[in-house]
Amino acid sequence: MAEIIQQMINALLLGCTYTLIAIGFNLFFGALNVVHFSHGDVCILGAFMTLILYGLAKFLGLVTFLPGFLFIPLLILLAMILTGLIGTFFERVVIRPFRYAPLLMVLVATVALGMVVRETVRLSFPHGSNPQIFPRILPQTSFQWGGVLIRLDNLIIFGTTIFLISMMFLFIKKTRMGAAIRAVSQDTEAAAMMGINIDRTVAVTFLVGSALGAIAGILIGAYNNIIRFDMGLMGGVKGFSAAVVGGLGNVYGAIIGGLILGFVETFAAAFIPGGTPYTDVFAFLVVIFFLIFKPSGILGEKVYEKV
Amino acid sequence: MLTRTIGRAVLLLAVEACFFILFAAFMKTNETGYVVAFLLFFIGIGVVFKKWDKARIALTELFHEMKSVAGVGFVVMLLTLPFVFKSSPYLIHICVMAGLFAILALGLNFQLGSTNVVNFATAASYGIGAYASALLAVHFHISFWLGLLIGGSLASLFGLLLGIPCMKTKDYYLSLVTIAFGLIIYILLINFSWTGGPNGIPNIPPPSLLGHSFKDPLNLFGYQLPFQSNYYYLIFLLVGGSLFVAHRLHHSRVGLTWNAIREDEIAAKCHGIDVTWYKILAFCIDAFFGGVAGTVYSHYIGFISPENFAFIVSVVVVTMVILGGMDNVFGVIIGAILLTILPEKFRAFEDFRVLIYGVIVVTMLMFRPQGLFPQKMRVYRK
Repeated sequence: MAEIIQQMINALLLGCTYTLIAIGFNLFFGALNVVHFSHGDVCILGAFMTLILYGLAKFLGLVTFLPGFLFIPLLILLAMILTGLIGTFFERVVIRPFRYAPLLMVLVATVALGMVVRETVRLSFPHGSNPQIFPRILPQTSFQWGGVLIRLDNLIIFGTTIFLISMMFLFIKKTRMGAAIRAVSQDTEAAAMMGINIDRTVAVTFLVGSALGAIAGILIGAYNNIIRFDMGLMGGVKGFSAAVVGGLGNVYGAIIGGLILGFVETFAAAFIPGGTPYTDVFAFLVVIFFLIFKPSGILGEKVYEKV
Repeated sequence: MLTRTIGRAVLLLAVEACFFILFAAFMKTNETGYVVAFLLFFIGIGVVFKKWDKARIALTELFHEMKSVAGVGFVVMLLTLPFVFKSSPYLIHICVMAGLFAILALGLNFQLGSTNVVNFATAASYGIGAYASALLAVHFHISFWLGLLIGGSLASLFGLLLGIPCMKTKDYYLSLVTIAFGLIIYILLINFSWTGGPNGIPNIPPPSLLGHSFKDPLNLFGYQLPFQSNYYYLIFLLVGGSLFVAHRLHHSRVGLTWNAIREDEIAAKCHGIDVTWYKILAFCIDAFFGGVAGTVYSHYIGFISPENFAFIVSVVVVTMVILGGMDNVFGVIIGAILLTILPEKFRAFEDFRVLIYGVIVVTMLMFRPQGLFPQKMRVYRK
């Protein structure tokens, strides 16, 4: 029993990461009907940004200057903002020119953009092809609770994710900008006619999505203690899979899809003998299975083709 | 009249020869400065042709008038290529790789170009062909020629398997299915013990024909050509065959059906086209081409590992098709050749290769999304 609960905790954590990436995919798809294939790389960029900022702060002596509980959130906030700005920049430079082009173009362009991001990261770090050690930014204490080992950093990760996701929902539901984002995702042309600035709304969408993705990247780094330049490819494909399983374009679907993927992977690794190397295979098989029997995802609207 | 025809034929061959000499000279340059100069020169020629309508129309007419002469001249020149490069096997190696990628791109073109079905699993069918024939050759001593057929067929079977879930999905969902399939194959290749795991399969025997092993130098007309030329001629034949198949398919009812599906799937359905069957057909043919290319690759290099069939290979092939011009068989081949040769020429920037590659793709899509040689309208003669 303790074993199962332990695995559930792991699955929840993995699910949180996938959810955060998938929310980005869903936001972008809602706003522009595009799949931003380099989103996974942007997320990992968030982790690398934290790494750089941490190194910078250490170099400037800020680590001793500020107490940890103040310094780390500030660091993460800064990394989030920077990653969000990078995401917005990519939208402006690479995705906007293809707004009226066939879907395939933006697909291939963002896949190529992902390559560019990965290679830039690899080349700008000394020994960039090797994994980089991620700073231990979270407390490392843990406690036993009925045979289950609970790490404090896991709790923090879980709490942060729930907090951020609820903040995002509040933003989408309660603010003017959120209403604009919903309007654009429903009908871009009608929204434009109502006087909504489409370009600005899309830019904000990318800012929010990429900033949340940065948290996902940081979580991956904090959980594994290492980050590598090419983690973004798998992260992006997994996040996209989670978005598709939940229903592309539906922000709530991201949570369901992310959790499903997290549970499938964790439980396949834990309970299928010899399954550990094949966790990704199981995850992808589940995705393909979902696509065959529920192509629009769990919460997605059924799309009818119009002639 | 006769003298005029001969004169025109000579002119045509001269144009081709000029092009060929330029190409050979370009291949032989090593220094980055010269390479850039050559590239600028080629781009300049392209721009001049675009602006100078008279010359372009005259030349196109000339080529259309004497298709057979142009074809024969072209083939003869390509056949002499190993003699030109006989002192530098590396250049022949690049040509062989360009041929392999041309086959892959031609295969993908049936899907991406003709039917507008995205497929990011080319590397998987390429890998399945390579592993199938390599395993058969290493463990059961099955000859390359039989392996070629088996590798292609197995890959084709994989295409069928991939095609079934793809029929349910479109656009982004479809691309996700193909990416997932490609990654599954890659992960399986790394983790299975009988495929050699991450270490791959070493010592794959070279093919032999009529007692002549492809590992030995080729003696032709008193010249000794490096062993790569064996593969060069093999790949020449295979590309020729693929080109023939692709050309015939494009101009057949099947090609027309694919185009109909690309333009409007619902309309195609309403006209009684069995969309599922034709899409699956595109998947199978693409995978067959991929499998054949993989077989040749594994026996040519003699060593394969999962890294050779990673996701990036699929992206490269997709890029070749888009760069060359979707649904234009000749454009696709030129795209494949360009994208194989150019990275080799910029070896000096080895570390920046993938980066430059990505930048090229993005800028290309922005400024010339229809590719270098877009498909022309179908012309029917009475």
